[in-house]
Amino acid sequence: MVEEGGGGGVGAMSFLKRFPPPAEGVRHQQPDTEAVLAGRTLGSGTLYIAESRLSWLENSGVGFSLDYPTISLHAVSRDLTAYPCEHLYVMVNAKFEEEETKEAPVAEGEEEEDSDDDAEPIAEFRFVPSDKSALEAMFSAMCECQALHPDPDDEDSDNDYEGDEYDVEAHELGQGDIPTFYTYEEGLSHLTAEGQATLERLEGMLAQSVSSQYNMAGVRTEDSIREYEDGMEVDIAPVVAGQFEDAEVDH
Amino acid sequence: MEVSHSLKERTIAENSLVILLQGLRGRVTTVDLRDESTATGRVTNVDAFMNVRLSEVNFTDRQGTVSRLEELFVTGRNIRYVHIPDEVDIRATIEQQLQAIHRVRYFGGRDKGRREFPCTKHK
Repeated sequence: MVEEGGGGGVGAMSFLKRFPPPAEGVRHQQPDTEAVLAGRTLGSGTLYIAESRLSWLENSGVGFSLDYPTISLHAVSRDLTAYPCEHLYVMVNAKFEEEETKEAPVAEGEEEEDSDDDAEPIAEFRFVPSDKSALEAMFSAMCECQALHPDPDDEDSDNDYEGDEYDVEAHELGQGDIPTFYTYEEGLSHLTAEGQATLERLEGMLAQSVSSQYNMAGVRTEDSIREYEDGMEVDIAPVVAGQFEDAEVDH
Repeated sequence: MEVSHSLKERTIAENSLVILLQGLRGRVTTVDLRDESTATGRVTNVDAFMNVRLSEVNFTDRQGTVSRLEELFVTGRNIRYVHIPDEVDIRATIEQQLQAIHRVRYFGGRDKGRREFPCTKHK
C-alpha cells in the first residue's frame, strides 16, 4: 500500500533523503527522469551521473544516491516486452527498504522474491527519461564513472596500469596516451627493483649476443625482441639517435 | 568453452586475462555473472579492471527471465566467467595483444628519427 504523504507517494520509502544536488564532477544530468525500484515508481526527478556517485532527486527535493562500487551493472533497455518503457537499468548490490509488493512488470507468475536473497542483496533500479534519445549518453556517462571506481578488493597484483584504460586500438591508430612513451629517464624511474634487475639481465644478454646477430649492443631488432621476450613489460633503454650512424648494419 | 579451472592456467590468466578479454573485442561472448545471471552479446570494450561492455545483449537474469539489452556494462568484480568463443585461439589472442602493446612501447619513436631496422609485419 502506498502512503500518500508529502513526498507525493514516496513517503513510504525510508531510504529517501533530502540533499542538495551534486555540484562537482557531474558527467551527465538528466531531468524529467522517473526512478523505479523493483517495479515501484519513486516519482519523477533529475538523475545526476556524477563521478563520485549516482544521485536521483525527485522534483520535491528528496532522493537517493548510489555508490558506484555497489553497482553491479547498468544497461540500456529498449526491449518493450521486458519493460514498457525504454530505460537505464541499474543493478545494485545492496538492499533498499521498499514496500512489500506482489506485482512487478517483469515477473510472470513466478516467485517475486528471490529465494537466495540473503546470499546477495540485489536491488533493481530503472531510470526512465522522458527523452529516450538521452539513454546512450546516460549509459556512457555511467560507464566512465564506473571506471573511476575500481574494485578495492581486487587482489590482482598486476596493477601498474597507471590507472588508465589501455586502449590498444587507439595506440595502434596512433591516438594513444603519450605518457606511455617513456624517455630513458622516465622509463628507468618507473622500473621496480625487479624490473631493473630484469633490465640488467636482458641488456647483458644483448651485449653477449652481438657477434651472432646483425645488431649492435643496445640496438633492438624485432628478432632480439622476440628472443628475449618473456612477457615482462620492461622498457629497455632506447638507443641514442645517431649512435650507430656509421655501423654497417644489414637492413 | 569456459575459462579454465586449472590453478596453473588461472594463475597465468590472472596476469593477462584482461588482455585476452580485450582481444575479444567485436566478438559475441557470454559472460556469467556472480549472481548467476548471464549476458550474451558483442564485446564492445574491456578495460583494465575487467569491466566489460557488451552490445546487443540477450540477458538472462538469475530467475531465468530473458530480456534484450541494447548496451550492457558489467563491473569486473561481478563477473564469474567469460565464455571464450570456440573459434578463438586463446594463446594467439594473448600474444597478439601483447605484441600490440610492446609494439607501442618499444617502437614508440617509430615516426621520429631514423629507423634502425625495417618495420616488418608485426600484426
